[in-house]
Amino acid sequence: MHKLSRTNRDKLQQYVSITGASEKSALQALKASDWQIEAAFDVFYSQPQPKSNDPYSDMILAEGVSVLCSDLQVEPQDIVTLVLSWHMNAATACEFSREEFVGGLQALGVDSIGKLQEKLAFMRSELKDEQKFYDIYSFAFGWAKEKGQKSLALDTAIGMWQLLFAEKEWPLVNHWCDFLQDRHNKAISKDTWAQLLEFARTVNPMLSNYDAEGAWPYLIDEFVEYLYDKSVVDK
Amino acid sequence: MEHKIIDFEQGWEKIQIGITALKRKSECLHVPELLAQHTIDIYTIVYRMCTQKSPNDFSWPLYQKYCETMEEHMNSTVLPALNEKRGDEYMLLRELVERWSNHKTFVKSVSFLFLYLDRFFIVRRSLLSLEEVGLGCFRDLVYNKLQCKIREAVLALVDREREGEDIDRKLMKQVLEFYVEIGEERYEEDFESSMLKDTASYYSCKASSWIQEGSIDDYLLKFEECLKKEKERVTHYLHFSSEPNLVKVVEHEFFFVHENQLLEKTHSEKQISFGSIAKIFKQHVTEEGGEDNKATNDQVASAKEQVLIRKVIELHEKYMVIECFQNHSTLFYKALKRAFERLCSKAVAGSDELLATFCDKIILKRWGSEELSDEDIEKVVTFLAYISDEKYLFAEFYRKKLTLRLLLNRGVSDDHERSILTKLKQQHGGQFTYGENEIGLTVTLLTTGIWPSYKTFGINLPSEMVKCVEVFKEFYEKKTKGRKLTWIHSLGTCHVNGLFDQKPIELIVSTHQAVVLLLFNTRDKLSYNDIQTQLNVGHEDLVWLLHSLSCCKYKILTKEPATETVSRTDVFEFNSKFTARMCRIKIPLRHVDDRKKFIENVDKDRRYAIDAAIVKIMKGRKALGHQQLVSECVGQLSRMFKPDIKAIKIRIDDLITRDYLERDMENPNMFRYLA
Repeated sequence: MHKLSRTNRDKLQQYVSITGASEKSALQALKASDWQIEAAFDVFYSQPQPKSNDPYSDMILAEGVSVLCSDLQVEPQDIVTLVLSWHMNAATACEFSREEFVGGLQALGVDSIGKLQEKLAFMRSELKDEQKFYDIYSFAFGWAKEKGQKSLALDTAIGMWQLLFAEKEWPLVNHWCDFLQDRHNKAISKDTWAQLLEFARTVNPMLSNYDAEGAWPYLIDEFVEYLYDKSVVDK
Repeated sequence: MEHKIIDFEQGWEKIQIGITALKRKSECLHVPELLAQHTIDIYTIVYRMCTQKSPNDFSWPLYQKYCETMEEHMNSTVLPALNEKRGDEYMLLRELVERWSNHKTFVKSVSFLFLYLDRFFIVRRSLLSLEEVGLGCFRDLVYNKLQCKIREAVLALVDREREGEDIDRKLMKQVLEFYVEIGEERYEEDFESSMLKDTASYYSCKASSWIQEGSIDDYLLKFEECLKKEKERVTHYLHFSSEPNLVKVVEHEFFFVHENQLLEKTHSEKQISFGSIAKIFKQHVTEEGGEDNKATNDQVASAKEQVLIRKVIELHEKYMVIECFQNHSTLFYKALKRAFERLCSKAVAGSDELLATFCDKIILKRWGSEELSDEDIEKVVTFLAYISDEKYLFAEFYRKKLTLRLLLNRGVSDDHERSILTKLKQQHGGQFTYGENEIGLTVTLLTTGIWPSYKTFGINLPSEMVKCVEVFKEFYEKKTKGRKLTWIHSLGTCHVNGLFDQKPIELIVSTHQAVVLLLFNTRDKLSYNDIQTQLNVGHEDLVWLLHSLSCCKYKILTKEPATETVSRTDVFEFNSKFTARMCRIKIPLRHVDDRKKFIENVDKDRRYAIDAAIVKIMKGRKALGHQQLVSECVGQLSRMFKPDIKAIKIRIDDLITRDYLERDMENPNMFRYLA
């Protein structure tokens, strides 16, 4: 190995500790950028990361997410984690890929845990915005379902509904969940998921403007009948 | 760039020039179009007048001016022009149609100039849009004043057509479209109700004179002809919603009003009037059928059903006789048909199954004693026409019974089965009996797809049976290539020799029962669990088998404890004390596939049919509203069966999940086909 000057050796160590690269590649990178460490970082970060065989190697997984939550001082089941995931456009619950995480933070204009924590109040307020709520609700389906599945497991769906409708009041939410457990007991399709919000938004709790001839998914029609049967609502 | 403030008078003057030009244009086609540049200029003026700061924001005054302009145009030009023509029906209606169409263009072009108002000012204050104001003016200031005249003109033309005159149907269509355009309720309230009244008085007059003049036959012919003409009128120019009401009115005038007269007349002419008699007859039949039902209600359930069917068939026969001395009695037929349809659907739930069972019974019974007469079959087949909706179910039931007859060799003859099938086919079309004909009559190898599916469950066969099965399999595979052999043990029968203490008895049992019994060859006592592990059968099925052997009439096995039901903790023992009068007995195994399960199977078949229909429709249409999709789907399937709307909805949901369809992003009532 060449003898390096003290400053260059420091730069090499700094480079290795930050990028996690091997000493050899660090040396190459620094030489290529003429020992300008900033320039070498630029090159490092602009290059695509070498692909590893393990698809999870570059991801924050369940453990990481729980560390993140405790750093942010929020419960993992706090709805704000859903809003955060929505900002990051995360594909699956309890996981962030590097791209998702970095992209989301950039979009939020956040570069430290403190700043992210400051954003939480804003994120909670976003749920009160009708359009954003709609987006977050739609996003939640794909996010919460198991990878490779088309529909959302019933337990998960019910959990998500209770979480979401705690934000946007819908008086029938508990009846809906009871109904599903009682009569349906199967996974929830994407269409039913989407149409339920539409139903909650457009049909009043007395069901006076419900149109039985409309294109509501079958499950929602059944739900309405269930409400009449149980005389929750008078016909 | 700073604009000079436009004051109201100055701006309005310029706008008015444009409006006048458009007005002239709407009156006469030879005036050149308003130049695009000019239009844009006016639009800009409006825009600036609306966006100037208060007190120079002229949005409200402009809106008012727009309304005034429209009103003024109506009062000064359109109304007088129509008033001039009110003397002549044709002239008035033509003028109306033309004025209305011109006015629509005029409103469109003027509201374009004021577009900025529409976009912001009106939305914010939730006022009526420019178009609503413009078209509303026509309705309020022109139509409302001439309403009676217009209606009279239309009705006069309708009456003239009824009298045989050729009228301008295109014009009529346009006028009636106009009604719908200014509001559907206008059509119903202002026009339809009077039209129905007019129709009623027209026919009441006609009917009373026709009934005096000609014979009943002529009267009926006249009725049919008028009805046809009225229906034609609906297709040519009336709104389609009027048809049922119109038909009702005509029927009412012809029959209800003159019922007594009709009856008197039939009396005096000594002829039979089909119309009125048919009605009375229908009532009578329904009542009598209803009584039959009540009477049989007290009897034992299974017997009752058979009796009921026989009674209904007898009833039918009784009334079919009457029909012999009548020549052309379509009305009569219809009444009979309706009466029986009602009877079947109302009184006899599951008449499909009953009828199939009935067929089965008569076929079996007649075989023993005498030849099966064609008449019997004929009766059943004709009767089937009345249970139209459930025909499909009947077919399934019939197929099942037929195959059982064939498989269990109940002394059935080929020719008879074939003759019944031919009859069914004649009456109900080829599709109905598809499959049945293909069933080989003596072969016990069943082709999947043609034969109904049977409940099969795996069971460990004893080594003796396995050997036989292997031998046959080898033979079969040698003879035919590429065919899969599936054993349906539930239909098999075995003869087992039971060496009981008193005398040996031959037991006729199903394959499954035999397998259970063979276990007791090696050991006398077996627990439920032993049996289950040796046979590897599901709990439900095993309970069913053991029940037939230990809890029913013939107790081949004794059970500890000796209860009426089988549970997992029971122990079974070979009953060596068992004996019977005969030396050969059949141990019945209740058929598990009850009606509920059976209907489930049919529903499953229907699911595919519904899926196919939906996909076919959507493939053609690409995008379709929910209501329309459902109704087209019902239409397509109506030849086979009457699909449940719920079932269609479930299939739509499922097709969405399977990515054949998607819901439109904007309109949740709309579906799109995904290629």
